[in-house]
Amino acid sequence: MEFLEACGVRRSIRIFDRKKPVDRQKIQRILEVVRVATTCPGNLQPWRAIVVDQDKLAAPDRKTLLAADNYQAAHAQAPVWIYWCANTDSARPESFRARVHELIDVGAMPTYYGWTHETVDGSILRGEIAPEGMANIEQIIHGMPAEMSAMIARQETVGACAVAVLAAVNEGLGTCLHSCHGADKIEDVRRVLKLPASWNAVWVQLVGHSLEDREAGGQRPRLPFGELFFEMDPTRPFVRDETVVKDLEREGLLRAPSPKPGRFEELMQIGRKLGYPI
Amino acid sequence: MNDLRSYASVTRWIDNVNRYYQLPASEWVDRLAALRVFCEQVGKDPDAVIRSAVEEKGVKVEMMRRSKQIAKEATRDARAAHDQDGFVRSFFIHNGARVVVRPYEEE
Repeated sequence: MEFLEACGVRRSIRIFDRKKPVDRQKIQRILEVVRVATTCPGNLQPWRAIVVDQDKLAAPDRKTLLAADNYQAAHAQAPVWIYWCANTDSARPESFRARVHELIDVGAMPTYYGWTHETVDGSILRGEIAPEGMANIEQIIHGMPAEMSAMIARQETVGACAVAVLAAVNEGLGTCLHSCHGADKIEDVRRVLKLPASWNAVWVQLVGHSLEDREAGGQRPRLPFGELFFEMDPTRPFVRDETVVKDLEREGLLRAPSPKPGRFEELMQIGRKLGYPI
Repeated sequence: MNDLRSYASVTRWIDNVNRYYQLPASEWVDRLAALRVFCEQVGKDPDAVIRSAVEEKGVKVEMMRRSKQIAKEATRDARAAHDQDGFVRSFFIHNGARVVVRPYEEE
């Protein structure tokens, strides 16, 4: 699938085919995309993923994980649940140091900007001011509290989830992100998934074959372009070039908005087939 | 009990469902009949059913149990019973009473 088309047909799918299994190779392809394409400061890569085939779960464990997500119907239907977790240990100063050394050694970070093992160590280990031209890592990383590491790990894992969602769409699969748990169910999920202490579940990505049409009723409501994007300062909306809009319509990014004609008939038909009350 | 359509909760139910799904009048005959049977069995009119279901959690749970039981007694066809129970649950849902919904059991 072309990139813009994958972006254009990305939907949060809420009705999955419970009986149609997902090809394991497709799951691997999603993970491979996330591994390669996700960006992260310092190349920390603090995301971890646990792929759960719900049919392989012991019944009590399945129930616990579903209960943590309030038994949401789509969760119960999707055959595969990918639990995306943030590993706080991967966002500690020593991890940052090791990963940045690695980037310098593979030529990703130009030494002529100041990036050397010595400057990195001076800033991270001793809080020395980074030379102009490189990031002020002494302010961000040196002596960084664990809470900040947890926050960084979490925010970067969310970025990985965004990539994972598009990767699933690219495989022709339905997908949706759900919160893993309410505040009172954190430990339940941790126990069932056997999460190490430094891992925190961030999102569960539901993956399966959609029972909804690929368009799932059309592109979701979006705030006007000019309310989201600005030029130079927040009082000046970024002016949309209509020729670009036309090109993106032709290329499959911009599509008919929801609800497309027939959407509610589709929902009714599926609901009746599955036995949900209309 | 009066004509079901004279109750605010029933009007709300019909309006809400038809806002999205525009069910033909013929479908409402079965739906209203199922609701009437339910209301008669629990001894309350539709508005009173919703009032007590919203205000008292235990009552709502008991009503859902009764709904399932009434539907099972009405027909031996599991799917038809599920659908009849679904009509009552739909009535609850569209009146703001949170109830559990399940798909057909897997065969």
